[in-house]
Amino acid sequence: MRARLTTLSMVGPALVLFVVMLVVPVCLSVYLSLTDWNGYSANPVVVGLRNYLDLTKSEEAIRAGWVTLVIAAVGTVLLSVLGLGFALLVNGASRLNALFRVILFYPHVLSALVVGFLWSAVLGTSGVVNGWLTTRGAEVLPFLSNPHWALASLIGVLVWAGFGVNVVLYLAGLQTVSKDLLESARIDGASARQTFRNVTLPALAPVVTVNLVLSLVTLLKTYDLVVSLTGGGPAGSTQTAAYLILWDSFHNNALGFGSAQSVVLMIVTAGLALTVARLRSRADQGVKG
Amino acid sequence: MSRSVRRKLGVLTSVVILVGAAGCGGGGFDDEGSAGAATGEVRMLVNITPNLTKGYWEGLVKPFEDANPGADVKIEAPTGSGVKDSLPQLLAAGNAPDVVETLMADKVLAPQLLELTDQAWTKDTPLAQQAALDGKVYTVGVGQQAQSLVFYNKDAFTKAGISSPPKDLDELTAAMGKLKAAGYLPLQTAGDYVTGLQLLQLSDPSIATKHPDWYQQVGSKQLGVGQSMLPLLQRYESWIKSGYVDKNALGLDDVNAQTNFLTGKSAMYIMGSWFVRTAESQNPTFDLGVFAAPTEAGQPYPGPQGVTMAAPYMVLKSTKQRDLSVKLVQFLVTDQAAVQSQLAQDGNFRKGFTDKLTPLGKQVQDILDQAPKGVAQGEGYGANTLPSGFNGEWNKAVQSLYTGKSAKDVATRIDSWMGSKS
Repeated sequence: MRARLTTLSMVGPALVLFVVMLVVPVCLSVYLSLTDWNGYSANPVVVGLRNYLDLTKSEEAIRAGWVTLVIAAVGTVLLSVLGLGFALLVNGASRLNALFRVILFYPHVLSALVVGFLWSAVLGTSGVVNGWLTTRGAEVLPFLSNPHWALASLIGVLVWAGFGVNVVLYLAGLQTVSKDLLESARIDGASARQTFRNVTLPALAPVVTVNLVLSLVTLLKTYDLVVSLTGGGPAGSTQTAAYLILWDSFHNNALGFGSAQSVVLMIVTAGLALTVARLRSRADQGVKG
Repeated sequence: MSRSVRRKLGVLTSVVILVGAAGCGGGGFDDEGSAGAATGEVRMLVNITPNLTKGYWEGLVKPFEDANPGADVKIEAPTGSGVKDSLPQLLAAGNAPDVVETLMADKVLAPQLLELTDQAWTKDTPLAQQAALDGKVYTVGVGQQAQSLVFYNKDAFTKAGISSPPKDLDELTAAMGKLKAAGYLPLQTAGDYVTGLQLLQLSDPSIATKHPDWYQQVGSKQLGVGQSMLPLLQRYESWIKSGYVDKNALGLDDVNAQTNFLTGKSAMYIMGSWFVRTAESQNPTFDLGVFAAPTEAGQPYPGPQGVTMAAPYMVLKSTKQRDLSVKLVQFLVTDQAAVQSQLAQDGNFRKGFTDKLTPLGKQVQDILDQAPKGVAQGEGYGANTLPSGFNGEWNKAVQSLYTGKSAKDVATRIDSWMGSKS
């Protein structure tokens, strides 16, 4: 009995925190998604699955879902590839490499809102780039005014702001690659490319998985950069799922509908993250084995 | 871990969930509040902007605190991106403020608000009766904002050979052609909220003249928003095609758009009266003027002017300081010095407060005085309202004119959205 109480007393605080900070909000979100709550009414009416049905009919929500998936898919690939590439470039003990690492990580230190405003000053119609172009008689490039360009700009800035973390993770992974294996490969006459492909990359498999999952989950929640860079525009073309959740909840006083979108986003995020982790499990086990 | 311990943990988890859910879900919605004392703290939620800083608000209420010893007005900034986002969170947390500035009462918000109909002083405040819901006053304001204004570069007009501001939309289109030929971008617009707002501001006089009870007709589905706006949308579409507005304007924010206009790159900028203060602070190098938005050909000019309540205040029903809160709001919207200060600080207008107006401000006041009537705009207020979220949806729809959609597409989209909200 005493041992049980000890166990409870040790697990209890963490459990309470976990439940209050995570389980309760999720449960509330699920409950609110089944109501017509507008954010102000005292007694939200339970409407069953109506919000979910509305979600399947909402062209705007479906478009935001696709935009989010495109951002997540393209962004995850770019973050992983660039992260690994730059990690290989600065994977040395020199002071110059240390400086480059700081520079590469620096964008991640900035607030996403600041990054968005900064890049809108660079890419906007009156921004630095277009100002430079127009003074040379060239046409303005529609970085933020054309839907396709705006989406590409958004992904580009997301990658710029985020890939420092991937570089750090890959750098940590590169330290764990067996020096003996690398030396053996060199003695066996393997080229740099062969060594990377057959020794380094397989050894990095668990780090690749972590990078993919973290990038994917982060990008599926993209919100603040949308607010500060494109405002969801032009014409709503860069609205992400998270942006639309906030928009519907607070601008349209539809917190029930917003909660339904949150629940779907949560399920999709968890599903995709688990799928990626599962697909990568064979590569990970190869390293452990 | 043994089975019984796991079971106990399960029970504990359930209890915590239920307790947490009860705590989070409770909120303060049904709290009827109380009259309170003549002293104590009154919490006022306000929007903080470059013009209306926290220091400004604190200075504004200082005379009230001095006149009511023991009263302490606590200025609170939004916890979210604005008052609209923050208020539901504060209500849900059971931590609602006593007074809220910025929002207009609508049918969603009204049940949380204290009715001010019986307060005699509200009758003399701008737009209080027009903003009333079913005859009940919940919101009172300091002044009014004129919406349907076209600020223009007089020098550009002279250079383009335009002798007087256009009175109807055909004349406006013709003037745009001349301005473009003279080397100016005729009409400055931007992305963000500006695109849709400008078209609403421009539409106010002609729509209100053609359909005096537009909101009621739209509400009863005798008229579609898109259907009634189609001629203006088609005109706007033609302006984009003719290069009268920048085809890349959606890549600009409002500040950049204003800078372009105030540095003489563009000739006209449609905006509300709050732009007066911004414009004057930038000291443009050209002669800046303003005229009332043109009407459709054949309609009288000037037409009705879009007006909105400036600095609206409301008292929450849940307040424990009802009397002091009402007294504070009365001070803010009736005290001469407080009103004058707020009008000047945010570029707003009110009859009887014209002494300190600048020349440009006087032009706006003249436009307000000459307008046959003031009308609601967009989501509107009082009896004249559209569903919540209309302004945002309208903005996105209008912006799609720049991304390849036709005026008819936009009209259909907005009517479809309105249909989904019925």
